[in-house]
Amino acid sequence: MKRREFLECAALLITGASASQLGWTLTGEQEVYLAGAADYIDQPLNYYTPEQRELLAALSETIIPRTDTPGAIDAGVPRFIELMVAEWLNDAERAAFDEGLFALQQRAQKDWDGDFLALDEDARLELLETLESEASGSDWYQLGNIRRDFISDAPFICQLKELTIWGFFTSEVGGTQVLRYEAMPMRFDGDTPLGPDESTWMPYLI
Amino acid sequence: MSDASTQFDAIVIGSGITGGWAAKELTERGLKVLVLERGRELRHGVDYLGEHAPDWKLPYNGKKPREFYAEQYPIQSKSYAFGEDTRHFFVNDKENPYQQAPGKPFEWVRGNVVGGRSLLWGRQTYRWSEQDFEANRVDGNGMPWPIGYKELAPWYSHVEDFIGVTGQAEGLPQLPDGEFLPPMDMFALEKTIKGRLASKAPELTMTMGRAAILTRDHKGRAACHYCGPCQRGCSTGSYFSSQSSTLPAAEATGNLTLVANAVVERLVYDEASGKLSAVEVIDSQTREKLRYSAKLFFLCASTLGTTQVLLNSPSGTFPNGLANRSGSVGRYLMDHLNVLSTTGIFFDDMDSYYYGNRPNNTYIPRFRNLPGEDEDTDFVRGYGYQALPLRGDWKMNFNAKGFGAGLKDRLRKPGPWLWALAGFGECLPQYTNRAYLHPTRVDRFGIPQLVMDFEWGPNELALWRDMDKQSARIMKAAGAVFTSAIAAEDVVGGSAIHEMGTARMGDDPNQAVLNAHNQAHDVPNLFVTDGACMTSSSCVNPSLTYMALTARACAYAVTQLAEGQI
Repeated sequence: MKRREFLECAALLITGASASQLGWTLTGEQEVYLAGAADYIDQPLNYYTPEQRELLAALSETIIPRTDTPGAIDAGVPRFIELMVAEWLNDAERAAFDEGLFALQQRAQKDWDGDFLALDEDARLELLETLESEASGSDWYQLGNIRRDFISDAPFICQLKELTIWGFFTSEVGGTQVLRYEAMPMRFDGDTPLGPDESTWMPYLI
Repeated sequence: MSDASTQFDAIVIGSGITGGWAAKELTERGLKVLVLERGRELRHGVDYLGEHAPDWKLPYNGKKPREFYAEQYPIQSKSYAFGEDTRHFFVNDKENPYQQAPGKPFEWVRGNVVGGRSLLWGRQTYRWSEQDFEANRVDGNGMPWPIGYKELAPWYSHVEDFIGVTGQAEGLPQLPDGEFLPPMDMFALEKTIKGRLASKAPELTMTMGRAAILTRDHKGRAACHYCGPCQRGCSTGSYFSSQSSTLPAAEATGNLTLVANAVVERLVYDEASGKLSAVEVIDSQTREKLRYSAKLFFLCASTLGTTQVLLNSPSGTFPNGLANRSGSVGRYLMDHLNVLSTTGIFFDDMDSYYYGNRPNNTYIPRFRNLPGEDEDTDFVRGYGYQALPLRGDWKMNFNAKGFGAGLKDRLRKPGPWLWALAGFGECLPQYTNRAYLHPTRVDRFGIPQLVMDFEWGPNELALWRDMDKQSARIMKAAGAVFTSAIAAEDVVGGSAIHEMGTARMGDDPNQAVLNAHNQAHDVPNLFVTDGACMTSSSCVNPSLTYMALTARACAYAVTQLAEGQI
């Protein structure tokens, strides 16, 4: 058993032990030992239709495809996007996002002569690049927003990238198989060699 | 009101960094101690709900729920330490309101659990210097300190020995060395920069941060495992908190009683004896009112919490607030001027990386207005920089254009190094900077709300300009290829979370609230040892000094009690 798995098991045991004890005064929403909780994306989905889910999967995989390492679908990004649209975006942002999905399909029909899902990889890429070039004046592309304050009125293509990239690199698959992750390093070494093809550590929140 | 008195020798109000120390020192000297904490119960280790949770376990994979925070936590959520991994340690702003004077925003960041902000603090641990204690006397701002470095030095050692402080001795008069555990390692880039500064800015010292984090096992607590985000709580007790260290030590004596959810409404002054007789408390869950009696009272409720209790405890002798003959209670409020001055981009050491998350930065101690220096400044006092390197990662490269395998590859690989200088400047004590009770607005317990009335003075603004100028010079000397001065248009009071003052120490009872032993001049069994006691602010992080003052005051109080002086 890896150290991390051990810790997660320990967390579960502790949670189980404490839940019955008196003095537990947290509210229900807080009463979760997060390391032992279910993954965020494992919640049930109930927002999009099967067709919309297929579209989101294709879009997120176009942004971050499977290469010699896992891609967006492998990492559960479509699930993440659906949950975030349903739970995290406000009403106006949700409406704009869904409108963006709809408009993208219309654009595909009009300028690429077919449903996005029917397009080949090059055409899909071309469509997204067109949307990005039309959005390039947005503040979303400014440097410096490293805390990722959400830009509420950014164009659809930006919000799609925001949720796809965030969902991917914070997922277990993206964090451990594309980036590197070590929950319990046990030491700090400020000078280790970095190979030309190596990934960053999964950053913790700042 | 029910009288809940069992026999207590001492009551400590607050269980944070100073309350924990008061509990430890008083119980270890044989006193029966009651600690009252207004926040809820929180068990060490067990209740650190966010500890070691990877992003994929956090709600929204760690993306912060903005609208919920804006509604419930508009102040607390501005803290870097606030998120779904730590929210359960903080107060809910909506339920715990305070007022800000018009046009003078002030951020009051508060813990709401046993252990208070000792769970959340930045852990930087620096001694004050003789120059710091002498500053008011020398330049005439505020009033002189009643003690100097030599009175506090043994207590600094006492505290450091117990809490465990990692650091590097440097032999600097402006930053006295302490009892150090081995320093943490520097990043290769930091070593490169240190080397460049040594030749291009030799008047500077760049040293490893001194922090209350264990670099080896210490007094039953384990060495740091470098997981990173300390503010989530540490079940191995590898950073100092009341939870990990002082409260267990107090508990071990058998002399400690700790009551959580206990909101102190007021202290009761007995006109006949000229001393405090009791404290009146509201149970935050049941709203039951309770009264506890003791011989000795330690007020460790955090600076502004302490201000509120003092001002809300008027009596015939003290119509303007307990121990407030001087009129200084609530006055001379200070915070550090904390400015993210400059960020530089470096293409050095690109093939060097790191292992583990170092929960510490480097430190450039004060170098302005030191004794014997040519005086070219238009301000008094000084500032230091905390300096932190960051390697570019996907979050910093988020706005990259493109799609597909190329984008994925760019986002996963490290970018250049960033090195940021965050200045911490000394704030002068000013009569007009204050906290007072609102005449009509009360909180949900019926306690008058505090009003914060604070703004930076001309000296802080001049110091800030110099801080920005010097940081640009340091970046150049360090070898940054590109620097961005983040124009901090506004640094909000309180945002350094180093608020202090409001019940200052001083020899003159007509000007000061507390004497040289943190004892109220006019109320012999009242001691105030949190940040409220501070007569000036230095520019170094204050928690170590609060702890040393607390331990020193406890030793004095117990002796006075034994001799029948209290």
